Amino acid sequence: MTLRGIVKRFSDVTAADGLELTVNDHEYLCLLGPTGAGKTTALRVMAGLTVPDEGTVLFDDRDVTSLEPEKRNAVLLSQTYSLFPTMTVADNVLFGPDIRKVSDQDKEQMLVSLLDLVRLTSRADSYPRELSGGMQQRCALARAIATSPDVLLLDEPLRALDARLRIDLRRELKSLAQTLGLTVVHVTHDQDEALVMADRIAIVRAGRIVQVGTPEEVFNEPVSPFVANFVGQSNFFIGTVACSDPNGSMVEDQFGRRVKARPTDVPVGQKAVLAVKVGHTHILKREVAPLHGRIERMLFEGRVVHVDVQIEGVGRFSSKIPMSYQGRYKVGDEVGIGWNRNKAKVFPYPEGGLENELKVD
Amino acid sequence: MPLVELRGVSKRFGKVVASSGIDLRIEDGEYVTILGPSGCGKTTLIRMIAGILEPSEGQVLIGGRDMKGIPIEERDIGYVFQNIALFPHLNVLENVSYGPVVKDVSDEERQAVPKRYLELVNLLDRMRMFPSALSGGEQQKVALARALASGARLLLLDEPLSALDARVRMDLRYELRRITKDLGLTVLHVTHDQEEAMTVSDRIVLMRSGRIVETNTPEMMYRAPKELFTANFIGETNLLDGVVVASEDDRTVVEVRDGSKVEAQPSRFEPGDAVVISVRPERVHAEEKGLRAIVRSISFMGTYIRITAEADSEDIMGFDVRVPRGRDFNVGDNVHLGWSKQSALVFPRPPGGIAEAVKLE
Repeated sequence: MTLRGIVKRFSDVTAADGLELTVNDHEYLCLLGPTGAGKTTALRVMAGLTVPDEGTVLFDDRDVTSLEPEKRNAVLLSQTYSLFPTMTVADNVLFGPDIRKVSDQDKEQMLVSLLDLVRLTSRADSYPRELSGGMQQRCALARAIATSPDVLLLDEPLRALDARLRIDLRRELKSLAQTLGLTVVHVTHDQDEALVMADRIAIVRAGRIVQVGTPEEVFNEPVSPFVANFVGQSNFFIGTVACSDPNGSMVEDQFGRRVKARPTDVPVGQKAVLAVKVGHTHILKREVAPLHGRIERMLFEGRVVHVDVQIEGVGRFSSKIPMSYQGRYKVGDEVGIGWNRNKAKVFPYPEGGLENELKVD
Repeated sequence: MPLVELRGVSKRFGKVVASSGIDLRIEDGEYVTILGPSGCGKTTLIRMIAGILEPSEGQVLIGGRDMKGIPIEERDIGYVFQNIALFPHLNVLENVSYGPVVKDVSDEERQAVPKRYLELVNLLDRMRMFPSALSGGEQQKVALARALASGARLLLLDEPLSALDARVRMDLRYELRRITKDLGLTVLHVTHDQEEAMTVSDRIVLMRSGRIVETNTPEMMYRAPKELFTANFIGETNLLDGVVVASEDDRTVVEVRDGSKVEAQPSRFEPGDAVVISVRPERVHAEEKGLRAIVRSISFMGTYIRITAEADSEDIMGFDVRVPRGRDFNVGDNVHLGWSKQSALVFPRPPGGIAEAVKLE
């Protein structure tokens, strides 16, 4: 499926501002972005529920831009599962228009295998209101799959579920899609969900796709400070590029502090911002680190402890330390903070300022 | 001294028991979260403390006073709801000023107090704007400022972040703790999100089916859970079914389903006892020998890689490796998994089976 130059305006809001995207066969692609970025609009354009003002939607080489939803063989599963309350699980699953043409025997077989797949066999005769949120979600999924769509479009499929349950269902949903060889486009605002589930992630912001790549590419090779901060949190250091060669670069701030980063294309002397992931910084001895400050806060997060260090003239730098290191530090300690230079990336200083660039809300 | 005390509190709606025999003390200045899956009764509990619901049995005391028959407006509490409830026709400052009007304060103070709290949530520059012009995160901060401006020493937060995007939620939960700690407030915060609970709380109250499962600090809940349900709900864990073969001073030896023997912490169990071992993914390592398993999936998690493997004992085992080492593993590889005996906890095997004991919905 390909989107070419998709534009969609709603009165004064531009929800899609030239979307370019190709989704490959059998791929699990996540559209990731903050609320209001235009993710759902993109999904509805793919489904045929929203007609774009400009641009083309292709399924293989077929132009489907103005084709009705029913004729596209793409199914959209909305946030609010929309199961029929007066129908049982089995009837809901077999409701799809294409299925009514299938023989009773085939229908029965299909139902058995689908219910088994989504682990609802024992609930075939239950009504939606008798099911938990997770079960309703799986029932809606079975109904969507029953129509054997070429493309499955999922709009925040896990949003209505509890946080802990979501973690388990991520893996289930992904492995289900893999087993069936489905092509899936999954909209989410949750970067952890996208990292775990996606073959590729497309980052959406203000109606545009700002980066497409594997989870690893998007995490390690962000194209902008926004992406660096949205996919995994980043720390930022503002200064000018002091030097740069093929081995690496340095950024220097107004106090003459120099910190190291990967090689950069940003010219020496230009205002720049260095980004390094919170999970890639280390707490060091004060003496050996280019930056130092006072531990302001330590928050236990389970597998790691989140440490905030207040650095004069820079602001807050954060790090994650393994739980077993927790006893080495306490709030108020003077510590240094550092990182492997290959983990830090330099960007030109954003035109509208850093705060504006990082805005997620 | 807004100490909150619940004594044998139960609440029934017809035949449904939403809370059952709840005993709980919350100290002055403490930040406590009530955590649990949907339908566990956590919202009912906070509503009884607020005075929105009357308990069927038992007592609610605030500051040593029995709250029976005392309406919400006379309980001196601030309340923030899940669904942001601002007055759309009032601007930000007017919204925040809405609470204290009923109190006996001078005009000057009436202006000063709301402004002080708007500054605290970093929204002073938005005070003339209307709610519709604010993002979801900003609106919820205004709601928080309003609750704080009421001057109440006890703050009740009912899923205050769950309507927001994941990334916004992360930033705001740090703010919540910072602000309420600075003000020395007592906070009771209801959530279904275990990550949120771990990072904001002094103490977590974990609920299930109307009862308190366990209460402790986030760290103790994670490191030394007393119940199997807690071990699985607070952070992810691997659970292995087995039988004790030796119980020694420094370790418990357990035979798992494929006949191999694994070690765990010393315990009170005797040889022959049916048990479940819990060991966290970050504590499991691929080693020369140990539990034999086949790699089933590899997920990039940003700063680490999560590998899921199926053991010969039929237990599904997740383990974490550093990103560079992740490339050494492929789906289908045979691995041997081990862990230090100190990192594995032993629980009695639940009569209804593991799945039932850790069920999330």
